[in-house]
Amino acid sequence: MIKINIKCFSQVKYALDTDELRLELKNGTTSVELEKMIREKSKGKLDGISMRIAVNQKYIPNDIKLHDGDEVAFIPPVQGG
Amino acid sequence: MIKIDIVDRPLEFFPNDDSRLQDGAELIFNGRVRATEHGDSITALEYEQYEGMAENELFQLAEETCKKFPIHDLFCKHRVGRVNVGETSLHVAIWSKHRQEGIDAMSWFIVELKKRVPIWKWAIMEDGSRIPSECSHG
Repeated sequence: MIKINIKCFSQVKYALDTDELRLELKNGTTSVELEKMIREKSKGKLDGISMRIAVNQKYIPNDIKLHDGDEVAFIPPVQGG
Repeated sequence: MIKIDIVDRPLEFFPNDDSRLQDGAELIFNGRVRATEHGDSITALEYEQYEGMAENELFQLAEETCKKFPIHDLFCKHRVGRVNVGETSLHVAIWSKHRQEGIDAMSWFIVELKKRVPIWKWAIMEDGSRIPSECSHG
Protein backbone atom coordinates (compact mmCIF):
# COMPACT_ATOMS: atom_id res chain seq x y z
CA MET A 1 0.00 0.00 0.00
CA ILE A 2 1.05 3.61 -0.53
CA LYS A 3 0.07 6.71 1.44
CA ILE A 4 -0.98 9.74 -0.60
CA ASN A 5 -1.67 13.26 0.62
CA ILE A 6 -4.30 15.10 -1.41
CA LYS A 7 -4.54 18.90 -1.31
CA CYS A 8 -7.96 20.33 -2.11
CA PHE A 9 -8.60 23.83 -3.41
CA SER A 10 -11.52 25.91 -4.63
CA GLN A 11 -14.28 23.77 -6.15
CA VAL A 12 -12.58 20.55 -5.02
CA LYS A 13 -12.45 21.82 -1.45
CA TYR A 14 -16.08 22.93 -1.73
CA ALA A 15 -17.21 19.58 -3.17
CA LEU A 16 -15.36 17.40 -0.63
CA ASP A 17 -15.73 19.83 2.29
CA THR A 18 -12.10 19.44 3.30
CA ASP A 19 -8.78 21.00 2.39
CA GLU A 20 -6.75 17.84 2.77
CA LEU A 21 -7.25 14.08 2.44
CA ARG A 22 -4.91 11.25 3.32
CA LEU A 23 -5.58 8.00 1.49
CA GLU A 24 -3.98 4.57 1.48
CA LEU A 25 -4.00 3.14 -2.02
CA LYS A 26 -2.92 -0.04 -3.73
CA ASN A 27 0.62 -0.11 -5.08
CA GLY A 28 0.60 0.95 -8.71
CA THR A 29 -2.41 3.28 -8.44
CA THR A 30 -2.17 5.99 -11.08
CA SER A 31 -3.05 9.67 -11.02
CA VAL A 32 -6.04 9.17 -13.33
CA GLU A 33 -7.37 6.32 -11.17
CA LEU A 34 -7.11 8.59 -8.14
CA GLU A 35 -8.96 11.35 -10.00
CA LYS A 36 -11.77 8.88 -10.69
CA MET A 37 -11.95 8.04 -6.96
CA ILE A 38 -12.07 11.72 -6.05
CA ARG A 39 -14.84 12.39 -8.55
CA GLU A 40 -16.85 9.47 -7.14
CA LYS A 41 -16.27 10.75 -3.61
CA SER A 42 -17.70 14.14 -4.59
CA LYS A 43 -21.03 12.49 -5.50
CA GLY A 44 -21.44 14.42 -8.72
CA LYS A 45 -20.36 17.81 -7.36
CA LEU A 46 -17.27 17.77 -9.59
CA ASP A 47 -19.16 16.71 -12.72
CA GLY A 48 -18.34 19.03 -15.60
CA ILE A 49 -15.40 20.61 -13.80
CA SER A 50 -12.10 20.11 -15.62
CA MET A 51 -9.09 19.47 -13.42
CA ARG A 52 -5.36 19.37 -14.10
CA ILE A 53 -3.30 17.12 -11.88
CA ALA A 54 -0.22 18.24 -9.96
CA VAL A 55 2.06 15.73 -8.25
CA ASN A 56 4.54 17.07 -5.75
CA GLN A 57 3.65 20.63 -6.81
CA LYS A 58 4.26 20.14 -10.54
CA TYR A 59 1.68 19.76 -13.28
CA ILE A 60 1.92 16.34 -14.91
CA PRO A 61 1.25 16.11 -18.66
CA ASN A 62 0.28 12.41 -18.63
CA ASP A 63 -1.04 9.75 -16.31
CA ILE A 64 1.66 8.51 -13.93
CA LYS A 65 2.02 5.86 -11.27
CA LEU A 66 1.85 7.34 -7.78
CA HIS A 67 4.43 6.64 -5.09
CA ASP A 68 4.34 6.45 -1.31
CA GLY A 69 4.41 9.96 0.19
CA ASP A 70 3.33 11.78 -2.99
CA GLU A 71 1.38 15.01 -2.64
CA VAL A 72 -1.38 15.23 -5.23
CA ALA A 73 -3.62 18.17 -6.10
CA PHE A 74 -6.51 18.21 -8.55
CA ILE A 75 -6.40 21.71 -9.91
CA PRO A 76 -9.73 23.17 -11.06
CA PRO A 77 -9.58 26.15 -13.47
CA VAL A 78 -7.35 28.77 -11.87
CA GLN A 79 -8.46 32.37 -11.30
CA GLY A 80 -5.49 34.50 -10.31
CA GLY A 81 -5.26 38.17 -11.13
CA MET B 1 15.68 40.86 -13.24
CA ILE B 2 12.60 39.13 -11.89
CA LYS B 3 10.86 39.76 -8.58
CA ILE B 4 7.90 37.69 -7.47
CA ASP B 5 6.00 38.05 -4.25
CA ILE B 6 2.74 36.54 -2.97
CA VAL B 7 1.57 38.29 0.17
CA ASP B 8 -1.44 38.24 2.49
CA ARG B 9 -1.56 41.98 3.17
CA PRO B 10 -2.32 45.14 1.15
CA LEU B 11 0.12 45.49 -1.73
CA GLU B 12 2.88 48.05 -1.60
CA PHE B 13 3.55 49.16 -5.16
CA PHE B 14 7.01 49.07 -6.68
CA PRO B 15 8.60 52.53 -6.40
CA ASN B 16 9.47 54.71 -9.40
CA ASP B 17 13.03 54.24 -10.57
CA ASP B 18 14.50 57.20 -12.43
CA SER B 19 17.88 55.49 -12.80
CA ARG B 20 16.67 53.35 -15.73
CA LEU B 21 18.44 55.12 -18.59
CA GLN B 22 17.93 52.36 -21.20
CA ASP B 23 14.22 51.75 -20.61
CA GLY B 24 11.90 53.94 -22.66
CA ALA B 25 8.79 52.16 -21.39
CA GLU B 26 7.56 51.42 -17.90
CA LEU B 27 4.30 49.50 -17.79
CA ILE B 28 2.24 49.13 -14.66
CA PHE B 29 -0.82 46.91 -14.35
CA ASN B 30 -3.03 46.82 -11.28
CA GLY B 31 -5.80 44.24 -11.05
CA ARG B 32 -8.58 45.35 -8.71
CA VAL B 33 -11.58 43.66 -7.16
CA ARG B 34 -14.87 44.56 -8.85
CA ALA B 35 -18.09 45.02 -6.88
CA THR B 36 -19.95 42.34 -8.83
CA GLU B 37 -19.41 38.71 -9.79
CA HIS B 38 -21.70 37.51 -12.58
CA GLY B 39 -24.14 40.28 -11.74
CA ASP B 40 -24.24 39.57 -7.99
CA SER B 41 -22.95 42.15 -5.52
CA ILE B 42 -19.97 41.08 -3.45
CA THR B 43 -18.07 42.71 -0.62
CA ALA B 44 -14.70 41.08 -1.24
CA LEU B 45 -12.84 38.26 -2.91
CA GLU B 46 -10.79 35.82 -0.92
CA TYR B 47 -7.78 34.55 -2.86
CA GLU B 48 -6.58 31.05 -2.12
CA GLN B 49 -3.20 29.79 -3.31
CA TYR B 50 -1.49 26.44 -3.53
CA GLU B 51 1.37 27.53 -1.32
CA GLY B 52 4.78 26.87 -2.86
CA MET B 53 3.48 25.84 -6.27
CA ALA B 54 1.81 29.20 -6.93
CA GLU B 55 5.04 31.11 -6.35
CA ASN B 56 7.09 28.61 -8.39
CA GLU B 57 4.67 28.76 -11.32
CA LEU B 58 4.61 32.55 -11.18
CA PHE B 59 8.40 32.70 -11.20
CA GLN B 60 8.67 30.24 -14.10
CA LEU B 61 6.09 32.23 -16.02
CA ALA B 62 8.04 35.46 -15.42
CA GLU B 63 11.21 33.73 -16.70
CA GLU B 64 9.39 32.53 -19.82
CA THR B 65 8.03 36.05 -20.42
CA CYS B 66 11.53 37.54 -20.17
CA LYS B 67 12.81 34.97 -22.69
CA LYS B 68 9.90 35.36 -25.10
CA PHE B 69 9.89 39.18 -25.21
CA PRO B 70 12.81 41.65 -25.28
CA ILE B 71 12.06 43.21 -21.92
CA HIS B 72 14.52 44.04 -19.17
CA ASP B 73 12.71 43.45 -15.89
CA LEU B 74 9.43 41.99 -14.66
CA PHE B 75 8.22 42.49 -11.11
CA CYS B 76 4.96 40.97 -9.85
CA LYS B 77 3.08 40.96 -6.57
CA HIS B 78 -0.07 38.94 -6.01
CA ARG B 79 -2.20 39.26 -2.92
CA VAL B 80 -3.92 36.31 -1.21
CA GLY B 81 -6.49 36.21 1.57
CA ARG B 82 -9.37 38.68 1.76
CA VAL B 83 -9.22 41.56 -0.71
CA ASN B 84 -12.05 44.07 -0.39
CA VAL B 85 -13.88 45.57 -3.35
CA GLY B 86 -11.75 48.32 -4.90
CA GLU B 87 -8.46 47.02 -3.52
CA THR B 88 -5.57 45.76 -5.64
CA SER B 89 -5.02 42.03 -5.95
CA LEU B 90 -2.31 42.02 -8.64
CA HIS B 91 0.49 44.49 -9.33
CA VAL B 92 2.83 43.97 -12.29
CA ALA B 93 5.61 46.24 -13.54
CA ILE B 94 7.56 45.68 -16.76
CA TRP B 95 10.40 47.78 -18.14
CA SER B 96 11.50 47.62 -21.77
CA LYS B 97 13.43 49.67 -24.31
CA HIS B 98 10.33 50.32 -26.47
CA ARG B 99 6.65 50.33 -25.54
CA GLN B 100 5.31 47.64 -27.86
CA GLU B 101 7.37 44.76 -26.50
CA GLY B 102 6.43 45.79 -22.98
CA ILE B 103 2.71 45.93 -23.83
CA ASP B 104 2.87 42.53 -25.56
CA ALA B 105 4.79 41.00 -22.65
CA MET B 106 2.33 42.37 -20.10
CA SER B 107 -0.65 41.03 -21.99
CA TRP B 108 0.87 37.56 -22.47
CA PHE B 109 2.04 37.35 -18.84
CA ILE B 110 -1.42 38.11 -17.46
CA VAL B 111 -3.22 35.76 -19.87
CA GLU B 112 -0.85 32.93 -18.92
CA LEU B 113 -1.10 33.74 -15.20
CA LYS B 114 -4.84 33.22 -15.45
CA LYS B 115 -4.30 29.83 -17.10
CA ARG B 116 -1.68 28.20 -14.95
CA VAL B 117 -0.83 29.82 -11.61
CA PRO B 118 -2.73 27.88 -8.90
CA ILE B 119 -4.61 30.74 -7.29
CA TRP B 120 -8.39 30.79 -6.90
CA LYS B 121 -11.05 33.27 -5.84
CA TRP B 122 -13.87 32.81 -3.37
CA ALA B 123 -16.62 35.40 -3.59
CA ILE B 124 -17.72 36.93 -0.28
CA MET B 125 -21.36 37.80 -0.82
CA GLU B 126 -23.27 40.64 0.83
CA ASP B 127 -24.91 38.19 3.27
CA GLY B 128 -21.46 37.00 4.38
CA SER B 129 -21.60 33.63 2.60
CA ARG B 130 -18.46 32.41 0.85
CA ILE B 131 -18.62 30.51 -2.43
CA PRO B 132 -16.03 29.52 -5.04
CA SER B 133 -15.98 32.15 -7.76
CA GLU B 134 -17.19 30.93 -11.14
CA CYS B 135 -15.09 33.52 -12.89
CA SER B 136 -12.42 31.82 -14.99
CA HIS B 137 -10.47 32.97 -18.03
CA GLY B 138 -8.44 29.84 -18.71
